[in-house]
Amino acid sequence: MLTINLFNGLVYGALLIVMCSGLALIYGLRRVVNFAHGSLYMLGAYLGYSIATQSNFWVALVAAPAIMALFGVLLDRYGFRLLQDRDPLTVVLVTFGLLLVIEDFVQTVWGKSNLSVPTPELLNFTVDLFGTPVPAYRIAVIVVGAAVALGLSLWLRHSNYGLFVRAASTDPTTTAMQGVNTDALSAGVVGLGTALAGLVAAPFLSLSPSMSSDVIIDSFVVVVVGGLGSLAGAFIAAMVLGMVQALGAVYLPDLAMLLPFVLMVAILIWKPAGFAGSRT
Amino acid sequence: MKNQPLSLVTLVALAAGVAVASFVSSGTLLSLLTQAVIYALFASGVGLLLRQNGMVSFGHALFFGSSGYGLGILLQLKLMPAEAAILVTLAGLALAAFVIGLVIVRVPGVAFGMLTLAIGQMAFLTASRSRGLTGGADGMNIDWPSTLFGVAQSQLFKPGNMFLLCWVTLVVVLLALTLLLRSRFGSITEAVRDNEERARFIGIRTLVPRATVYALSGVVTGLAGLLSALNTGFVSPENLHWSLSGVALMMVVVGGPKALWGPALGAIVYFLFKDILGDLANHWMAIFGVALISVIVFSPTGLAGLLGRLFQGRPQRSVPAADAARPVVATGTAH
Repeated sequence: MLTINLFNGLVYGALLIVMCSGLALIYGLRRVVNFAHGSLYMLGAYLGYSIATQSNFWVALVAAPAIMALFGVLLDRYGFRLLQDRDPLTVVLVTFGLLLVIEDFVQTVWGKSNLSVPTPELLNFTVDLFGTPVPAYRIAVIVVGAAVALGLSLWLRHSNYGLFVRAASTDPTTTAMQGVNTDALSAGVVGLGTALAGLVAAPFLSLSPSMSSDVIIDSFVVVVVGGLGSLAGAFIAAMVLGMVQALGAVYLPDLAMLLPFVLMVAILIWKPAGFAGSRT
Repeated sequence: MKNQPLSLVTLVALAAGVAVASFVSSGTLLSLLTQAVIYALFASGVGLLLRQNGMVSFGHALFFGSSGYGLGILLQLKLMPAEAAILVTLAGLALAAFVIGLVIVRVPGVAFGMLTLAIGQMAFLTASRSRGLTGGADGMNIDWPSTLFGVAQSQLFKPGNMFLLCWVTLVVVLLALTLLLRSRFGSITEAVRDNEERARFIGIRTLVPRATVYALSGVVTGLAGLLSALNTGFVSPENLHWSLSGVALMMVVVGGPKALWGPALGAIVYFLFKDILGDLANHWMAIFGVALISVIVFSPTGLAGLLGRLFQGRPQRSVPAADAARPVVATGTAH
């Protein structure tokens, strides 16, 4: 019992890692708190569903993130970048408007009923984990989460682009003055991250119009608790939240639900600059 | 608007309400208008916070929902008559909002929004998970007594009367806020909003005024929650959900937070628009989303700003008394 709960916590944590990396990146680069991030994840999941039913899961795994990455680039180019000089609160509201548009689009195209993507054949077996059988697919989700975390960390730390992104997160103006253009790539990463999260979630969570609001608040919690300065913090927070959700749902349903928010409130009051370092 | 005597505007508004209540016979239209007016009050609370404090709350449903729950619980426990329960709920809400405000208004910018979001979601989760008293996710019915403030329930629940009650409440609240914000309190909060540091330099204590504005905005929204509880006789966790706060915020932005009546206008436009769309209303989310984005990008002062420009032929701004005496041409070219 404990094994499977811990395991599920790990799976949800991995999913949150994939989700939050995009949210944290776009905040770092544009100081945008993206309310539409959950909707992008939902859009990615539904796109993946359509592609997977037309061809197969593996095609969808490549195609859906690619389409979402392109969407992310366009969104950044024709949306966030044009609003860069505006009050951050204005931009937050724009993303809220975007959320509504995407949700409506998804409901119009795919309907309101729950949909599900079958687990791909290749991963449709169970593995024995300390005497508990667990689906191989979920192990794959954890692997993807770990790969995203590791890949992003290495990319940010060791590549030139990573350096630029970190520089732009620290001081966008000075970075731009030195002729660095991180725009297209980072926006692509955001799109990629959301689509990957959506698709990875598809086979074990059913697709429904409420999936975005289920996950966006959790993502905010992770990003705030982890501290936007460091992706590593967000990764740890994602894992902790995943565990709290999975274990809490079984052992302490009432208290565990509140715990992430209590943490979030405490951190925001204690150290708000971690989240909103820039005053205007 | 500013130059007309306030009492005249108020009288016209009240008369308009009476006219609507007595001449509109369609029950569905009246209940739509009632709902619109309740949300107008909700949005006015959110707008007040944005206008006087410059802060965006993503969790104002907290006050909308908890006033309904507070009243529902008080009535269910039969601790006091309904009239007293209403006052106790509002007083409790004001106190709670002031205390919360003392802590959270220190947090700047977007972080404040996140904070309100987190607190709101905590209330939402608590209400939807606790069974027993609040009925959990199913919500709770509110047992109103047969007479309220001496008015029989059957009279009160007539669509026309319900509308009139909500409308009068809205007008009175807006009037009271206008008067309050014309006073020294209004100037202080505006000074603090524009530059907290300088306000402190000239000896203003900045924390208490800001917390007071937060409490005031909470009470206004809570009042809307009470009216909603009266109108529907029901309160559910949905009343606390963050998406409701988001919708209220949209009304504020579309209506225009610069004018005190802007958010109310936004709410009424929102409901009428949704109704006029009819079959297209399935897509009202997308339509309103696009409207929201367009307003933010093209007309940051919202509908209120647009109307102000239309009627006055120049950007609306608060003209100090000394300025108003100058020739109109001078103020026109000053911009």
